[in-house]
Amino acid sequence: MSNADERFGRVSRRIGKLFRAVLFASTLAGILTLAVLLVYVANDAFQPLSADPGWHLVFLLTLVVPTVATGWWCYRRSYGTLATGLLGTVMPGIAALYAGGLAALFIDVIPTLVWLSFVIALAVPAGVVVALRRTDRSIPFLAELGAVLGVTAGSLLVVPGLVQGLPTVPADWMVLVLTLGLPEAFLLGRWIEGRWGRRDGWIAGAAILFGSAVGGVLGTATGFGAIPGVALTMFAAVPTALYVTIVLRERPERRIGLLLPAVIVGGALAGELLVGALGLTGPAAWVDWGFLTSTTQSGDPRSVGIYSGIVGTILLMFVVAAIAVPAGVGAAVYLEEYAPDTTFTRIIDVNISNLAGVPSVVYGLLGLGLFVRYAGQPTGTLLVGGATLALLVFPIVIISAREAIRAVPDSARQASYGMGATRWQTVKNVVLPRAFPGILTGTILALSRAIGETAPLLVIGAAQVFGIPDSWTSTIGAMPLQLYVWASTYASPAFYTTVLAAGIVVLLTAMLSMNSIAIYVRNHYEQR
Amino acid sequence: MAKQTDGVSRRTFLAGAAATGAVAAAGCTSNTGTETDGGLSGDINISGSSTVFPLAVAMRGEFTAEDVHPNVDISVNSTGSGGGFTNYFCTGDTDFNNASRPITETEEEQCSSNDVTPVELKVATDALTVVVNNDASWFGEDGEECVTVEQLAEIWSAESKPTTWSDVNGDWPDEEIQLYGPTDASGTFDYFLEEVLGEEEQHRTDYQSTEQDNQIINGVANSEFAIGYMGFAYYSENTDRVTALGIDNGDGCVKPTLETASSGEYQPLSRPLFTYPAQSELADEHVAEFARFWLENSTSESIVADEVGYVPNTESERDEMLDRLESAVEAASE
Repeated sequence: MSNADERFGRVSRRIGKLFRAVLFASTLAGILTLAVLLVYVANDAFQPLSADPGWHLVFLLTLVVPTVATGWWCYRRSYGTLATGLLGTVMPGIAALYAGGLAALFIDVIPTLVWLSFVIALAVPAGVVVALRRTDRSIPFLAELGAVLGVTAGSLLVVPGLVQGLPTVPADWMVLVLTLGLPEAFLLGRWIEGRWGRRDGWIAGAAILFGSAVGGVLGTATGFGAIPGVALTMFAAVPTALYVTIVLRERPERRIGLLLPAVIVGGALAGELLVGALGLTGPAAWVDWGFLTSTTQSGDPRSVGIYSGIVGTILLMFVVAAIAVPAGVGAAVYLEEYAPDTTFTRIIDVNISNLAGVPSVVYGLLGLGLFVRYAGQPTGTLLVGGATLALLVFPIVIISAREAIRAVPDSARQASYGMGATRWQTVKNVVLPRAFPGILTGTILALSRAIGETAPLLVIGAAQVFGIPDSWTSTIGAMPLQLYVWASTYASPAFYTTVLAAGIVVLLTAMLSMNSIAIYVRNHYEQR
Repeated sequence: MAKQTDGVSRRTFLAGAAATGAVAAAGCTSNTGTETDGGLSGDINISGSSTVFPLAVAMRGEFTAEDVHPNVDISVNSTGSGGGFTNYFCTGDTDFNNASRPITETEEEQCSSNDVTPVELKVATDALTVVVNNDASWFGEDGEECVTVEQLAEIWSAESKPTTWSDVNGDWPDEEIQLYGPTDASGTFDYFLEEVLGEEEQHRTDYQSTEQDNQIINGVANSEFAIGYMGFAYYSENTDRVTALGIDNGDGCVKPTLETASSGEYQPLSRPLFTYPAQSELADEHVAEFARFWLENSTSESIVADEVGYVPNTESERDEMLDRLESAVEAASE
């Protein structure tokens, strides 16, 4: 008896401690390796050591110290205050990133006039639908559908040519204000109307419209460019102003958090002025304006740029989203809401899960076989590349959309049925609106996987040296492909530590911005 | 309910529409069409030899410069001469195929079965370069490193397959040979096989093969007992990292340089480089113009020799090629 007691009292904790130490060490090793790698790449891309020590000192004093102090102070007040400040800092940056991407599209790929002509061509049938609904509700569904399809087809055939042939057309900025600013003003105006009342809604709508027009005029006048001017006003300045207004009006206790972005911007400006006045040189970073906007490709790292890669990636993502999202979400809705639970559907379920894990090179080969060899498309075009990547993310979109739809509580569906709604009305009015944030998050994450894919593009014969595509059938490249080419075709040490590092930083920035949007959307709607 | 939220009075609507119209009128310009200017535009796709790749990229850069033809979109892929003919050009996917050896009969048959007519244009002369590590001391004095064609043949032959340097020459070190070379889709591979190994011999397959010539340079630069071969342009950018061997064809040692390649002294490894436009594509003005531009600049010292590292065409070669191109353009537009 006493022996057993002694043994019981002497259970060794050494194994447990050792186990914990091993876990800790492996965690640390993984994280440290990644951190070292990222620091190494960032060091190559930004070359911080090439700056004057005084430059670092100036920015330490004007930017880093005040930012950290303000951030700490906000955090001490409340976590929400700090979060408000951080969001106010990050959001304009990410918004500007996407506004810049949009501007690049209109500058280099879609002539604004062509864009306008198609918007008008699609606005005509939309107007017809509204008119039909208003005047007479007794038209049979099939007749209405036929009429709308007919008008759409006719309008797409006639209107673009007509508009493009007009003797006088709106200027670039005007087209963007009309086609994007007007809807934005209308939608945000309506939203604000619901939040703060009709008067504020109208004021906001008018301000947005007027502001984007001013952005265009200013852009033209300053030589910055009309299109970037409008795009930045509409998609960076307006959301930022809206966010600031919301915080000021509705979150008085967090208001002070907005000090953080103010300190950062003020500190950066002050630092810039000071180093200019003192004549201190900054770091000779490889990620600079020239690198981001140059399309040059050559063996000289100093002259090359990543602009064609950026435009290629944006276009590819558009094609991927246009193909994979409707098809994927549609499949998810069908499988969750309509499909019977049979052996057959279970086999499909298992297969979709497995498809999400198929190596990307296999999808590349599938795309090559399907689109190039079988359908006879030329190799490496925008359409083929986008369709191949769409195949790749298709299962991921389905899975994440199904998760989102499954998360809608059954009680909501039952309530809808209980009020006499049909299945279609339930899906449209209850399930999809509730699942939307989840679907959006999943879609963005799927796209952020596609953005880094290289192997499928290589397999379908995307170009190693490429320019700005001007049609669906232009040969295309993308950012990861550009990095691959710099690392392999130009495999010289001159590239490894220079533009390659800079390209990695640009690609990671694009990917992290997408992920951060996805995370924000998820958290925002989870809190409700 | 919808009626109420939409309830904008007619007067407000008219005022809004009038204001919008006025602003719209202020932001109008006269329609200059969707073409930004009268310049050429369109796509050109180029596949083929990794040896010609840097030259094609340089010509692309000159041609699409802001003041020349900025709206022409040229993409270049380095696929190897043979890989380009078989998988891209003769299937009708690309407009040009670069080659570091003339097109073969099989490839021509494949092309013609797809109604693709290749037009052979010589664009430069290359000195196929054999490189070794800077620390390899057994090839001779500094600056006079040399190898005979027979030794090269023995090193790369599938029959002899020496594993150590001393297998080739008893005076050389007893260390394993590390071989780096282009893949068999490459024209450089074909040319080396034909000129060094001869018709009967096979090229050995147990070597590091790549279509990215800079990786051959990296491999050789990082290993003392390595040897590799590729186009001169890649060597000329890396003269401090690897050593080029002189070739002894029986008449003494000749180092690969632009001079010895153009004079024909560097034998048997100085060779012509080609680009093959597809005749039917030349009917497109921008494709024909690019071919013309390339040939006209094929005599340029600054682009071909200084920037890329090949021997430019002579003026008579250029004129001959231009004549050939013009007659192909004429045949295409008929």
